[in-house]
Amino acid sequence: MTQAGEGVRAAFGPRPGERLKAALQTRSALASVIALFFVLLIAAGLVQDASAGRILSLFVWGVMLGGVIGLGGIGLTLVYGVLKFPNFSHGALATLGAYIAFSTVAYLPKSEPIGPFSFGWELVAGLVIAMPLVGLVAIGVDRVMYRRLRVQRSSLVLFAMASLAMAFFLRSVIYLIWGSDFRFYYQGRANPALDLPLGLRVQADQIFILLLAVVLVTLVYLLLEKTKMGKAMRATANNPELAQVRGINTEKVIAYTWMLSGALAAAGGVMYGLASQLRPEMGFWLLLPMFAAVIMGSIGNPRGALAGAVIIGVAQQVSSAAISPAYGPGVAFVLLVLTLLIRPQGLFGERS
Amino acid sequence: MPLLKVEKVTCGYGDMQVLTDVSIEVKRGEVVSIIGPNGAGKSTVMKAVFGLLHPWSGRIEFDGVDISRHEPYQIVETGMCYVPQVANVFTELTVDENLDMGAFVRSDDQVGDRKQQIFDLFPRLYERRRQKAGKMSGGERQMVAMGSALMLDPKLILLDEPSAGLAPKMVDHIFERIVHVNRSFNIAVMMVEQNAKQSLQMAHRGYVMASGENRVEGTGTELLNDPDVARLYLGG
Repeated sequence: MTQAGEGVRAAFGPRPGERLKAALQTRSALASVIALFFVLLIAAGLVQDASAGRILSLFVWGVMLGGVIGLGGIGLTLVYGVLKFPNFSHGALATLGAYIAFSTVAYLPKSEPIGPFSFGWELVAGLVIAMPLVGLVAIGVDRVMYRRLRVQRSSLVLFAMASLAMAFFLRSVIYLIWGSDFRFYYQGRANPALDLPLGLRVQADQIFILLLAVVLVTLVYLLLEKTKMGKAMRATANNPELAQVRGINTEKVIAYTWMLSGALAAAGGVMYGLASQLRPEMGFWLLLPMFAAVIMGSIGNPRGALAGAVIIGVAQQVSSAAISPAYGPGVAFVLLVLTLLIRPQGLFGERS
Repeated sequence: MPLLKVEKVTCGYGDMQVLTDVSIEVKRGEVVSIIGPNGAGKSTVMKAVFGLLHPWSGRIEFDGVDISRHEPYQIVETGMCYVPQVANVFTELTVDENLDMGAFVRSDDQVGDRKQQIFDLFPRLYERRRQKAGKMSGGERQMVAMGSALMLDPKLILLDEPSAGLAPKMVDHIFERIVHVNRSFNIAVMMVEQNAKQSLQMAHRGYVMASGENRVEGTGTELLNDPDVARLYLGG
């Protein structure tokens, strides 16, 4: 723009159309639309005769689902930050984690359920085994495929396509090893809901999932903020060339990023399998909510991904008071589209 | 034996050759300034020395070690640091975290003392240590960039146009700090500058580059008084 043009702009301010457009793209505009969406969902639930206690329970389940989506979403957003591509095979990593835990539970002798939960120590062992194992698988995939693309400085679209191919590949491997049947960690073992005040009905397993998500998210936060490797990951995401100049071995940072995001995806998968059941496409159905959460929370921002995940998890669950739970991913999709239309940089992003 | 010895280096980007047989030396504790017109290959010399580009032919030796094939993260370990001209701070990290990243390869217990020395060198950084580097002014960012490079306690610091885009008062301040770093920390400095006159005044020796070759070399004073250099590169 010419200097004269800027002078005119300064004298009269932006045109009304532009001012309206700017107002509609603010953070608060997106937040209000999301809030309105929630009001509509709750109203729809009440119209369908859902009790306040049921809606409150759905809220709590939603926060739990948000924890599961968030564990995947944090990994997705970290990988995007450091490697700058959307990893479409992230859902498959979650599925793999769930099935590795399943095999561990099947292999180990069954112990008594722990306290009020439906599972015994062998599931905890499964979780502890699945997390590093899936992390190693993610590093292996990187070595075999993405690193070669990186060395050749391939375009973003090749990375995205490669990760999509890897998603189908991993899912096929899961079909081959574990078959296409639905599976449960403990076939036929019930976990009745606890009756809590205010008409709240929550399973002990759901509380476990919520607490585990909180613990893992706190650990990730401490890792990113307080440790040298965590700071190096953020530095590499922010400015990879400068990270190299400062002596950070970026290939090592990439390996740590895959280990962390693979392990978190696995934890998310195990928890999702515990909350419902295991099936080979479970991760694929988690992928859409994960992407919606990551974009809503501004891509590359771990805290944003978590906030987005809780919003989307709650929206999915509360919607089931009014419509079939099968539409859950559809609700995530609506929120994704709303975010992209109003503020593509998400709730926490700066104007680009 | 010189600290840094660039011997007849030819290199470039992809198929495009930028440098032809460039030879440069930096002795211990010395300030060396490289001047020359835009596109002379000054920044490319820096990148080649720091391993961001590998020489097609020729040899680069630092502190007695051949580093021609080293990657940047290996070069940092040998005690050399580099301040790029642009994008030289982690904008999303705080000043404090930027300094931590400067000491990434160090695991000794002197890092805390070193940070205090950097804060003494640039008191402004201490005041703003919890602020994100991306929210700071150009001059403050240059301080963050130099401060994090110095966290390494290097033998040699490479500065690519430290005065670029700064207000005249800030340029004086940054140049004064560079001299201070050289004298009191005993760190050798190799810098590339557009601001030729000022940088030659503070340099022990200088090189004049043009079209990817080094044309003239001499002490700072010699180059300042050389009529050809003055006419061609110092603006009369």
